Amino acid sequence: MIQFFHVYKAYPGDPPVLSDINLSVEKGEFVFLTGPSGAGKTTLLKLIFCAEKATKGQILVGGRNIARIRESAVPYLRRNIGVVFQDFKLLPHRTVEDNVSFTLDVLGVPRAQARDKVHRMLKLVGLEHKADSFPLRLSGGEQQRVVIARALVNDPTILLADEPTGNLDPALTVEIMDLLTQVNVRGTTVVVATHDATLLSRYQKRTVRLERGQIVSDEDGVKAARRMVV
Amino acid sequence: MSALAKTRYFWRSAAVGLKHSPFVHFIAVTTIAIALFAAGLARGGARVLDNLLASLGGEVEVTVYLSPELGQDEAHGVRGRVEALSRGQVSLVPPDAAMARLRAELGELGEALAELPENPLPATLELRVPPDQRTPEALQALARQLRALPGVTGVDYGEAAVERLTAIARALRFGALVAFAVVLSATVVIVAATLQLAIYSRREEIEIQKLVGATDRFVKAPFLLEGLLQGLLGAGVALLGLWAFGRLVGPTLGSLFAFLLGPGVGAPWVEPRLALELVGAGCGLGLGGSFVAVGRFLRV
Repeated sequence: MIQFFHVYKAYPGDPPVLSDINLSVEKGEFVFLTGPSGAGKTTLLKLIFCAEKATKGQILVGGRNIARIRESAVPYLRRNIGVVFQDFKLLPHRTVEDNVSFTLDVLGVPRAQARDKVHRMLKLVGLEHKADSFPLRLSGGEQQRVVIARALVNDPTILLADEPTGNLDPALTVEIMDLLTQVNVRGTTVVVATHDATLLSRYQKRTVRLERGQIVSDEDGVKAARRMVV
Repeated sequence: MSALAKTRYFWRSAAVGLKHSPFVHFIAVTTIAIALFAAGLARGGARVLDNLLASLGGEVEVTVYLSPELGQDEAHGVRGRVEALSRGQVSLVPPDAAMARLRAELGELGEALAELPENPLPATLELRVPPDQRTPEALQALARQLRALPGVTGVDYGEAAVERLTAIARALRFGALVAFAVVLSATVVIVAATLQLAIYSRREEIEIQKLVGATDRFVKAPFLLEGLLQGLLGAGVALLGLWAFGRLVGPTLGSLFAFLLGPGVGAPWVEPRLALELVGAGCGLGLGGSFVAVGRFLRV
C-alpha cells in the first residue's frame, strides 16, 4: 500500500530531515511511527500525502509513484488518504456536521447523501448528538473524534494520524486510539506518528522507530512492546 | 460527483464569504463603484466632446469655385452633381450675390467696388458636409473628387482648421483612454489587496480544502464568485450614481453650457449600452481582483 525506496528529504542549507528511508506498509496494516521530536515522523507522513516532495528516492502509494506526481494530480491522491492532525484543524465557525461534510463538499457529493454519510460517521465516533455543536464547545477528545470522522467520511484507504493524542489526557488518548484500531479493523491502513511510549506497549502494533531522520528499528508489536517494558 | 452540488456549494460559500468579512467587501465594492462612476462620467464627457466637435465641424464649409464661363443652367447642373457626390446641403451663390455679400462685409469701403469695370467674383457653391465626412481624410477625398468635376476651378475647405480640430479630439480621446486604463489597473490592485484580506481570514479553510483533496479550481471558484458579485454590486452602485448625477446635475449643466456644447448635453447619462459596458467592466474588475488575490493562497 505504501512503499519508500531510498527516500531522502532535505531543505537547502540544513542537514537532511530524512535519510535513506526504506519502508513498506501493507494494505490493512496498523503501523506506529515513533521517535523523539525532530526525528522526521511528521515529514514522513507529509511525504505520503504530498504536502512535501522527496529530495531523492521513490515513494509508491497504492502502486502509484508519487515522487513524480504532477501537481494537478495531488488532489485526487489526497481523496484516498485521510489525515488527522494533532492541532485538529477544525473550522471554528462551522458546526460539527459542516466540518465533517467539508470533505464531501469538495467531492461534490449531493447534500442529502452527504448528510446520511456524515451522520453515520458521527455515530461511529460517538458524536451523533453533537452534530449541531461548534468545535470550540467540544472537549479535546471530542474535537479529535470530529477530525477522525472528517478524515474517514469519504472512505479513504489510508488514514495518517500525526500525534493524534498529543493534546489529550490519558483517558481521551485511549478513546481515540480505540477508535483508530476500530477503523483499522474495518480494513483501513493506519499509520500513526507518536512519541508516546505507553501507546506502543498498550496497543502492540508494528513499530517503526526513527532517529535523526533514519529508521533505526522496525519491529512487530510484541517485540516493540517488550522492548518498551525492558 | 454532482456538478449541481458543487455549484450550490460555490454559491453558498461565496455568500458565506461576503457575510464573513462585510467591511472588506464593502471597501472592494466601493472602490469598484468609484472607478466605474468615474469611467461613466468620462464616457459622458467624451460624448459631450463629440457633440462639441460635431458642432464646430458643422461650421466648416466647403466652397466650390465655378468657372466664369458657366451659364446659369450649367451652374445648377454642377450643383446637382456636387450634391450627389457629397450627400450634403449645397447652395449656389451667383456672382452678383457674392458681390453684394462682399459689399456688405466691407461696409463703407464697399462703395469702392462700384468703380470696378465688371464683377470679378465667380459663382460659387457652398456645401455643408454631412457629419460622417468631417474628417480630414474624407474632406480631402471629397475635395479631390469635386476638383475633377467639369466647370469647377477650385475648392477650399479650411484644411488646416479641420486637421487641428481632429488632432485635438484624438489627443483628448487618447488621454482619456490612458487615464481610464490607469484607473482600472489601480482598481484591480486595490480590489485584489482588499480581497486578500478576506481570503487571509479564510486561509485555514483553504488549507483544509487542499488537504482533503480540493483542486485549485474548486478552491478558487467561490472567491471568483465573490469577486463577480462585488463587481456586479459595484457596477450597480456606479450606475445608480450616474443616474442620480444625470437627474440632479445634468439639467444645470445643460442650461449652463448648451450654447457651447450643443443639444447633446441634455441627453441621459445612463444609456443601455453604457450600463452594459459598466456591468461588464465591473465583473471584469471583480474577477480580475479575486483571481490575483486567491492565487497566492493555494500553495499547501
